[in-house]
Amino acid sequence: MSTVPEITLLNPQLLAQLERLELMSRKIFRGRMKGERRSKRKGQSVEFADFRNYVPGDDLRFIDWNLYARMDRLFLKLFLEEEDLHVYVLIDASTSMEFGDPTKLQYAKQLAAALGYIGLTRADRVKIESLGTSHRNPGPILRGRASVWRMIEHLNSIQPGENISLADGVKNFCIRNQSKGILILITDLMDKTGYERALKLLVAQQMDFYLLHVLSPEEINPEIKGDLRLVDAEDSDIAEVTVSRPLLDRYKRTLAAFVDGAKDYCTRRGMNYLMTSTDTPVDKLVGTYLRKRGLVR
Amino acid sequence: MLQFFTNHFLNTLTLGQWVVLALVPPAIIALYLLKLRRQPLQVPSTYLWSRAIEDLHVNSLWQRLRQSLLLLLQLLLIAMLIFTLVRPGWKGTELVGNRLIFMIDTSASMNATDVQPTRLDSAKKQAVALVEQMKAGDVAMVISFSNLAKVEQTFTDNRRLLRQKVELIAPTSRSSDLSEALRAASGLANPGQTGDPNNPNDIQTAEAQPATMYLLTDGGFASVPNFRLGNLEAEYVKVSSATPRNVGIVAFSTDANPENPGQIQVFARVENFGVETEKAVATLYVNDVELDSQNVEVAGRDKENQLPGAAGVKFELESIENGVLRLELEIKDDLPLDNKAFTVVNLPLPAKVLFITPGNDALELALATDEAIKMAVIVTKPPKYLEEKAYLDAAVDSSYDLIIYDQCAPKTMPNCNTLFIGRLPPGDEWKAAPKSFPTIVRDVNQLHPLSQLLAMENVKILEATPLTGPPGSTPLMEAYVGQGDDTKFSSVYMVGPRAGYEDAVLGFEIVGADEKGDVFSNADWQLRRSFPVFALNAIKYLGGVRTGLAMPSVKPGAPAILRSLTAVKQITVRSPRNEQFVVEREAQNQFVFTRTDDLGVYDVREGSGEKVSQKVAVNVFDPRETNLEPRDKIEIGEEIKAQTAKQVSRKELWRWLLLGAIALLIFEWYVYNRRVYL
Repeated sequence: MSTVPEITLLNPQLLAQLERLELMSRKIFRGRMKGERRSKRKGQSVEFADFRNYVPGDDLRFIDWNLYARMDRLFLKLFLEEEDLHVYVLIDASTSMEFGDPTKLQYAKQLAAALGYIGLTRADRVKIESLGTSHRNPGPILRGRASVWRMIEHLNSIQPGENISLADGVKNFCIRNQSKGILILITDLMDKTGYERALKLLVAQQMDFYLLHVLSPEEINPEIKGDLRLVDAEDSDIAEVTVSRPLLDRYKRTLAAFVDGAKDYCTRRGMNYLMTSTDTPVDKLVGTYLRKRGLVR
Repeated sequence: MLQFFTNHFLNTLTLGQWVVLALVPPAIIALYLLKLRRQPLQVPSTYLWSRAIEDLHVNSLWQRLRQSLLLLLQLLLIAMLIFTLVRPGWKGTELVGNRLIFMIDTSASMNATDVQPTRLDSAKKQAVALVEQMKAGDVAMVISFSNLAKVEQTFTDNRRLLRQKVELIAPTSRSSDLSEALRAASGLANPGQTGDPNNPNDIQTAEAQPATMYLLTDGGFASVPNFRLGNLEAEYVKVSSATPRNVGIVAFSTDANPENPGQIQVFARVENFGVETEKAVATLYVNDVELDSQNVEVAGRDKENQLPGAAGVKFELESIENGVLRLELEIKDDLPLDNKAFTVVNLPLPAKVLFITPGNDALELALATDEAIKMAVIVTKPPKYLEEKAYLDAAVDSSYDLIIYDQCAPKTMPNCNTLFIGRLPPGDEWKAAPKSFPTIVRDVNQLHPLSQLLAMENVKILEATPLTGPPGSTPLMEAYVGQGDDTKFSSVYMVGPRAGYEDAVLGFEIVGADEKGDVFSNADWQLRRSFPVFALNAIKYLGGVRTGLAMPSVKPGAPAILRSLTAVKQITVRSPRNEQFVVEREAQNQFVFTRTDDLGVYDVREGSGEKVSQKVAVNVFDPRETNLEPRDKIEIGEEIKAQTAKQVSRKELWRWLLLGAIALLIFEWYVYNRRVYL
């Protein structure tokens, strides 16, 4: 494993910026281990949460003796529990992601690394997987700053060419990961079967879901002309076009309609949608756009 | 089917060229197919592209057509060019004959602007269009005609030459006369008809050649009923609008005012050939100075008898010795030519008078008054002069306008007007009764110029001879002659015609001589005021002196007969266009000027002199030319109906096709550059 990809995934300036950030969840989830996040669970933090009647068997240490003296009844003091946050980053590693400069996959990896790093520094439970990850070889569960290198190592091991439909990949993921948390899906949504079925599965998962739609500038604003036979990288489908200005206009309209459709679909279902181009720097995306969207703080 | 093709197309290519041309469309298709190899390009996903062109695939045939837009445009372009090469078109008038005669009217009425720009231009255009229709091998001839015909181009198949000659035809102000042009045209078609070697327009051909004659005219000429068309087939192509409007001056002259001898009257007749009543302002100019104006209202053409509405214009002015009178009608109509008329008043031409007398002081005195000297050059000779050769020559060649024979008579009548005093002209036309005494004048003919203003009441005459003149004579003075029962009431002064001249005979001597040779007075007339008037009248009328009277107008193209005032060999005539013509003297002291094509006033100079000695006015004054009314038929032996309804030209399509091809090429270039897709 060379160090070159590491540097390209995360650089010192970005790391310094990321240090100050924290992943936010709009929902409160139960964690699995002690962490820095407020949990639904009542527990042993310093922050008072509530009272409840004492029932035999309760820990006597939490009885509020002052209250007992006033009301002659036993009440138990409850404190907020602080637990870790589950952060899942799901990367689409299909062949279509291998386009652009940097490739969309590379960009997705950078983004995943950045978000994962934020999670790791805040003691969250971070899990990064690609859509084609099989249940026999799941991605590592990472905790703590020390796991950054493992994360990067795992990210580098993700190779393009996992041509699995979006829905199948998501379904596969959902079966294996039942715990609640933040799920960030980084994909180009270029699935001829449609993205709706995949997103529907995620809605059922009741997670705090972010869809980062990554497109390359070549896709947003194609600079091709002439009589061309377009070959699909994934299924070798052929589209014969004679690229003209009206056709380009029509393509752009189609793309805009596609993006709007996805955004609309997500917004209606309480999901967050963000379209980004690979020429948007990752630090700007994380520090500005995602901060605005409330994913990081 | 074949007929259809030969009618609508003209082949311009040989078979070999057609074969080459036929290879062009397959070549274009082949090139297009080669060009259509698309370059493969790998894209992340055809997902969006497919969706972008999804609806384009709905109708794949249409889609294919649209993708081949360039090919289609190119094929269309080539088809159009090929179509152009067969010269498609359709014919108007069938050009039936192989020999065509285009007869173009150039008379004054063809200057009318009711057909834009003028009738003549329109006729020329139609003639050119007809020339364009000629098939290969057809020959045509161009004749322009007004009152004379001109063969502009003899038979030729050179279309360019024919076109050129047609274009060169210029309008004239002449009247129209078809007969000469018809003779020229028919000379070829019917060679038997014109074998006359004296006919300068006779154009001989070996054998009869049937020809089609296209008459491009407005029909404003006299019908030619006695003409046999024979092998000629006439087509009348009418060149005029349906309702032209024209008001024109058809007559303009001056005359002495009978009520006031010092004044002259200027008359003009204005006719309206349009349908509507027209108003105009008639302005009279004397030597380009505006003198007077009058409003003229002329009714339109009578719907029943088709006669034009007419109005008279009359101006009275002081007698002028000479000058140019110009009448202008201010009106905007279709023919401006006839809205202007000229007439000239020339200086009275001094009459040349030979006075032969044995001695007559009274008459010599009367002929020596200022007025008489102004009007006449009088040579007085004794009766023995009658025997001299000089007299005999002068009598034959009209050297004198008037010869007065006082108490003598020649052996033969001279070639001029004469006045006999107390004698009878030789020959037996004039008869006289024996002399009687006394003579009491009862009546003087005040209407005749010779005897007008003569007051004879106080004149005593002794002896007189009652006169009987030749047929057509006019009695000027009637008197009771004789005494008692022998008294006769008869003429004592008469004027009678003689082969173009007039002879006046006075039946009494003024001064006579008896047998002994003593001179006596036969009357006291010479003492009266009327005597010089008598002498002056005689000089004026018989000497041909006309004062203050307009010269008769000459019609365009007609010869003007001029007489010089002095004996010169040649005169110079300057036309209104400032062209100079030298006219040589002909017999009888006459100059015949024929170049009267322009309307207006011509100046005449005698010899090398600078002074304008006389002027001649040329006016249209032809109701037939002023009448612009379109004629639906003309008559040349038989009636020929107008053909204006027919299209007269081959309508060529190739120009439009070529323009379309160019437009298509531009569009194709646009499509190619802009990658236009529907």
